Amino acid sequence: MSTFKIRPLIVLALCFCIAFTSFAPVANAQKKTAPVEATPPPVREEFKFGKVDLDMLEQVNLLDRRFERDGMVLEDEATNAYLFKIGHGLIPAGLTLENVSWKFRALRDPQPNAFALPNGSIYVTTGLLSLIDNESELAAIIAHELTHVMRRHTYMQNRSNRKKFLTMNIMAAVGAYAPGGIVGAAIQAITMIAPFIIMATMFGYSRDLEREADLKGIDMMISAEYPPEEMVNVMKLLDHDIEGENIRLFYNDHPALQERINYLSSYLGARADKVTPQMELNREKAGYFRTMEPLMRHDVQLQISGGRFRSAVYIAQRLVEFHPDSQNLFWLAEAYRTLGPRAQQLTEKELTNSAKKDAAKKQEKRTDEEIERELLATPAGQENWKLHQQKSEELYRRALAADNPVAVAHRGLGMLYEKLDKKTEALAEYEKYLELAPAPADHDRIQKRIENLRRTPQ
Amino acid sequence: MTPPEKFAGSNLRKPNFVLIAAIIALAPAMARAQFLHPKIAKKETTIRNVVILPAKVNVVRDSMKGPEGMAAESENVSGRVEEALSAILEKQKHVKTLNPPAAARGEGDAEQKYSIADFQTKFDDLLPRILKKRSDVKKGRFTMGDEVLNLNLDKSVDAIVFIRGQGQKLTGGKTAFVMLVGGAPAYLKMQIGIIDAHTGEVLLYTDPMFAGDPTTAIDRLRKALEKGFKKLPAATVQ
Repeated sequence: MSTFKIRPLIVLALCFCIAFTSFAPVANAQKKTAPVEATPPPVREEFKFGKVDLDMLEQVNLLDRRFERDGMVLEDEATNAYLFKIGHGLIPAGLTLENVSWKFRALRDPQPNAFALPNGSIYVTTGLLSLIDNESELAAIIAHELTHVMRRHTYMQNRSNRKKFLTMNIMAAVGAYAPGGIVGAAIQAITMIAPFIIMATMFGYSRDLEREADLKGIDMMISAEYPPEEMVNVMKLLDHDIEGENIRLFYNDHPALQERINYLSSYLGARADKVTPQMELNREKAGYFRTMEPLMRHDVQLQISGGRFRSAVYIAQRLVEFHPDSQNLFWLAEAYRTLGPRAQQLTEKELTNSAKKDAAKKQEKRTDEEIERELLATPAGQENWKLHQQKSEELYRRALAADNPVAVAHRGLGMLYEKLDKKTEALAEYEKYLELAPAPADHDRIQKRIENLRRTPQ
Repeated sequence: MTPPEKFAGSNLRKPNFVLIAAIIALAPAMARAQFLHPKIAKKETTIRNVVILPAKVNVVRDSMKGPEGMAAESENVSGRVEEALSAILEKQKHVKTLNPPAAARGEGDAEQKYSIADFQTKFDDLLPRILKKRSDVKKGRFTMGDEVLNLNLDKSVDAIVFIRGQGQKLTGGKTAFVMLVGGAPAYLKMQIGIIDAHTGEVLLYTDPMFAGDPTTAIDRLRKALEKGFKKLPAATVQ
C-alpha cells in the first residue's frame, strides 16, 4: 500500500493493530467432497491481561470512537450489516473472548486495506471492498483479521516490542559510555549494529504473526464453508498495483507475496479434502455487487478526491460493466475527466520498485495541478487528455440519456467544458444543473463558477 | 595495546550535555518561519472571521520501553490548541472565531460529517507538499480548490484554520536517559494552515513548536502560538 498519503488516524490505528495484507494465490487447490469438519477456534487460551494490555485496550477503544466521530466510518447500515453477517458467520459459535466486542465496519478510505483492533473492531476500507469480487474474498480478508484478534496478536506484538525497545535503549546507553581503545570501539560497533538486528527481529515477529493469520484464516474459511482458494483472487487483486504505490522496503512487516503463495498452497494442499462443492454457493459475484454498489460509488468519489484517478476509472468501469445506469455512467465520466492527461495504466517500467520510489518522491513535491500541467506539455499527455475528455463527454451524454438521468452529469459537463475553455457551453450546463438539482450541497461553488464565467469575455 | 590511562575514566565518551542543555534552555517557545500569501502580505485580503476545524494533535508517552499512545490526552491537547489559538487571534489580531459546523464535532448528518472529514483529509494530502517548500506559500502556489465552498460555511467566514500536531512527553526513566545519553526531549510541534474560505488558497502557514510536556505546558503553548502568528496582520477593529 502507498505510504505517502497515509492519513494520521490510520497511522495511529496501525500502531495498535496488525494490518491486513495480500493473501497468497493458492495454486492448484482441488475441491473434494468430504464433509466439512469444524476446526478448533484459533484462540490463545493462555493469554492473561496485564496492565500494559489494558492500557492498550483503553487507547484502542478511544481510537474506535474517534473514527466514528471524525466521519471515517461509513454510516451505511446495509454495508455494515453485511460485514457483520460475514464476520459472525466466521466466528466459531459460542466463542466469547475477554475484552472483545465484535464490530465489522467499512472505513472511508480509498486505499485498499483492512485491519483489526484488539478490542474486536474489524475495519475494511472502501478501497478494498470496491476491488474484491465476491463474498468469499471478503470472508478471506475478515478471517485473516479475526485471527489477529483471537490470537491476541496486537498485545503479543506490543509486549515483544516493549522488551526490544528497552534492549535498544540499554544498548544505546552502553554505547554512549563505552571506554576508549579497542574494547570501547568493539562495544560501540556492537551497540551501533544491535538496533538494526533488533528492528529485524521486530519485523520478523510481525511476519510470523501474519503467517499465522493467513493459515488460521484458511481454517476459519473452511469451517464456515467458504472456498479457501478465493484467497488467491484477493491476493491477485492486491498485487494489481493500479497506482504504482506498493513499494517494497528493506524491512517488511509482512511476508513477501511469493513466500505466502508457497506456504498457503502447501497448507491448503494438505487440507484440500475439507473443501466441498457447496461452498460454491458463496461465490456469487452479482450478489456482492448488488450489495456493494452504493459503497463502490462512494469509493469512486473518495478515489477522485484522494488523487487516485486510475483506481477511480478501474472501479467505475467495474460498476458500469455490472450495471450501466445513469449514476454509474456519471461516475465513470467523472473518473475519466479527472484522469486528465495521465495514462490510464502504468507501464511495466513505471511499476518497477525504483520507478515507484521516484514517483512517490516527485508526487510529494508537486501538486496535482502542477503534475497535470507538466503532462499536458508532452505529446503523450496531450493525447491522453484528448482521449479522456472525449470518453468523459460521451459518458456524461450517455448518463443524461439513460433512464432516471442524474442532474449532476450537467455539472460534470460544465466542468469539462470550462476546462476546454468552451465558456458558453459550460455556463449552459452549470445553469441546467442548478435548475434540475434541488438545493445541491455544491450550489455556492457552482454559482460562483457561473458568475466567474459571466464576468470573463467569451 | 591500550594504554592504562585510557581506562581511568577521564576518557569516557560523554554525551554533549552542553548542547542538550542549550536546546532545552533556548527552546521553550520556538517558532519557525511564518509564510504569508501575497494577498495577506500586501493586505489585499483581511481575515476578520475564521472557523477552526477540529485540531488533530497526537501526543505519545515515550518510555524506555518505546512510545505509547495517549489518545485521551491527545484529545485534550487538541482542544487546548484550538482554544489558545482562538484567544490569540481574537485578542491580538482582532480576528473572531465562529463556531464550526456541528458535523465537525461528529454531530448531525452523515453527509456533512463526510464533507468535513474529506476536507480534513485534503489538507493532510496537501501538507507534505507545503512542508517540502514552505516558502512557496509566499508565491501563492498552494490551494485546496473551490471545493471549499461545499462546506457551506457562513458567508461571513473569511478563512478556515487547520491544525495538526505531534508531540511527546517523557516518562521519568526516559527523561533521565535523554539527559545522560541524548535523544529528543518532550516537545509539541504544530503545523497550522489558514485557508481562504472562498477560493481555497493557502493564506498562511506556520509551524510553531516548543520544548516541554505538551500535556501541561500551557504557557509555552500560548507563547509558541503568539510567535507563530506574529506576522499575520491584525484586522481593523470594527
